[in-house]
Amino acid sequence: MWLILGVNFRDLVPKTAVKLEDLGGKVIAIDAYNAIYQFLAIIRQPDGTPLTDSRGKITSHLSGLLYRTSNLMEMGIKPVYVFDGKPPELKTVEIERRKQAKAQATVKYEKAIAEGKPEEARKYAQATSAMKDYMKDDSKNLLALMGLPWVQAPSEGEAQAAHMTRKGDADYCASQDYDSLLFGAPKLLRNVTVSGRRKLPSKNIYIDIVPELMELSKVLKECEITYEQLIDIAILIGTDFNPDGIKGLGPKTALKLIKEHGTIEAALPHIKNAAFPHPPQSIRDIFLKPQVRDDYTLEWKEPDVEGMISFLCHQKDFSEERVKKTVEKMQTGAAKQKGKTTLEKWFG
Amino acid sequence: MFKLKVTDAKLLRDMATAISILVDEATFKIEPDGLKLRAMDPSRVAMIDFEWPKTIFEEYVCNEPTKMCINISELLKLLKRASKDEAVELSLDDKTGRLQVKITGKYSRDFTMPTLEASEEEVPTPKIAFNVKAKTTTQGLSQAIEDAQLVSDHVRIEADPEKLVLNAAGDLMGATITLQKGNDALLELEAKEGSKATFSLSYLAEIIKAASATSDIATLEFSTDMPIRIDFQQQKEGKLTFFLAPRIETD
Repeated sequence: MWLILGVNFRDLVPKTAVKLEDLGGKVIAIDAYNAIYQFLAIIRQPDGTPLTDSRGKITSHLSGLLYRTSNLMEMGIKPVYVFDGKPPELKTVEIERRKQAKAQATVKYEKAIAEGKPEEARKYAQATSAMKDYMKDDSKNLLALMGLPWVQAPSEGEAQAAHMTRKGDADYCASQDYDSLLFGAPKLLRNVTVSGRRKLPSKNIYIDIVPELMELSKVLKECEITYEQLIDIAILIGTDFNPDGIKGLGPKTALKLIKEHGTIEAALPHIKNAAFPHPPQSIRDIFLKPQVRDDYTLEWKEPDVEGMISFLCHQKDFSEERVKKTVEKMQTGAAKQKGKTTLEKWFG
Repeated sequence: MFKLKVTDAKLLRDMATAISILVDEATFKIEPDGLKLRAMDPSRVAMIDFEWPKTIFEEYVCNEPTKMCINISELLKLLKRASKDEAVELSLDDKTGRLQVKITGKYSRDFTMPTLEASEEEVPTPKIAFNVKAKTTTQGLSQAIEDAQLVSDHVRIEADPEKLVLNAAGDLMGATITLQKGNDALLELEAKEGSKATFSLSYLAEIIKAASATSDIATLEFSTDMPIRIDFQQQKEGKLTFFLAPRIETD
């Protein structure tokens, strides 16, 4: 669970700020659901109403995909979106919890609207964001028209993206979710698909969001642990597959316990109230032996401009002028990268 | 303990300028016999290989090898406060880990700045068999690059045994700049075989502009579709060399 894990875990993770323009020519495997959820949450009107077409279908995700992805392409980045498949069975508790959180947020949103409190409504509206089937189809359709590859993961998208990065087919994974590191992503980028400025929740303050890079090898070196031990630490703190972790056990204690004893099993006698919804080994296996596929092809093609205009402007009511400008941006980015090499090729 | 002193601030300023075009955070290797730095720019298209022996400096003290990482543009800001002929002294405070920058001349200024975590990356030397070696005046090379920049953002550099040619083709305009054997700008040319490679002009222009303050003679080495090596001759066995990766046109 990325909120729990993310918030607690990030103290353990060394990161460096990166500039998108320095990533020109690199392939970034983007966690598609993670990105689309962010677009659905953030791209809203002031009172929290999402963007829609004239038939009332939500288009926030398409707006985010088009404009944010074209920004990346302008920098010469080669994105590939990786979509989640069927979630692992161990995730049902977490999925149910998220459903309930959304239901509660919906009630609060409707109440805030009824009471005429737009700012509050917006806050709750963001938490109601739900991915509908038509949104997945729209998204894949748009990516194909933009000439971009997408990959359907058999199970967790982050696992598939990490697998592609480890194989060398992608240079980086991009997700807000630290789970990618647990799936073995060597290089994880955060803040790639969010815009440069973000309003702090419920405050009138804006902060600059800059992309940051986390490297698995550095995390392990900094903490002086192995990859398997990192997974054990995460399980103690709580993952999507045991969202509560062990009550009262924070990241610093978890790190200390695993460093001292080596594994969860060896550390158990030293932990009060240790309980897991599933045996730790079964959770470990999700990270260590994830379901992934190798039958994908990554090709970046010229965008189908007519197709984009027909879909975005004629069906989804986007401005034709803006879409055309965006296409130009994508194409100049790709042209700049044409033929570019890096010195690494000659290091032998 | 590390300390160095120059009597002319310009020397250090030009060094920092040359380094700052490729890296923000510069990790120097400080060794008893001199100062070294080797780094790539963040997009890994270009590399700088820099060595200045201790004899270049008025005073140079290093008891044991160490690494020092500093924000080079911040250092440059301080060095720019010194006018020509003012002396600059850099010293690393072992206790606080801060770099002290002392500028003396018309009056005296003591700045301190933090050092950063040193990079552990060891950048290897690209393995390339060069077929062309051309020695030019840095000024002539700089002019040729400026000519090419008028029409395009990249340039094809070609050579045969008789001449060095820069070809730039933009969307609308084109340029061919020829440095023939015997021209003032071309001092020497050896070409084992005809070779050509294309490079980004913005990188080339920035590198040459920054390095020209430290050097009058530049030696280019390249082969077809390989990185170019540009060496800028330094005083007293100093070394300032750049590598730049090519653009390879596929169609």
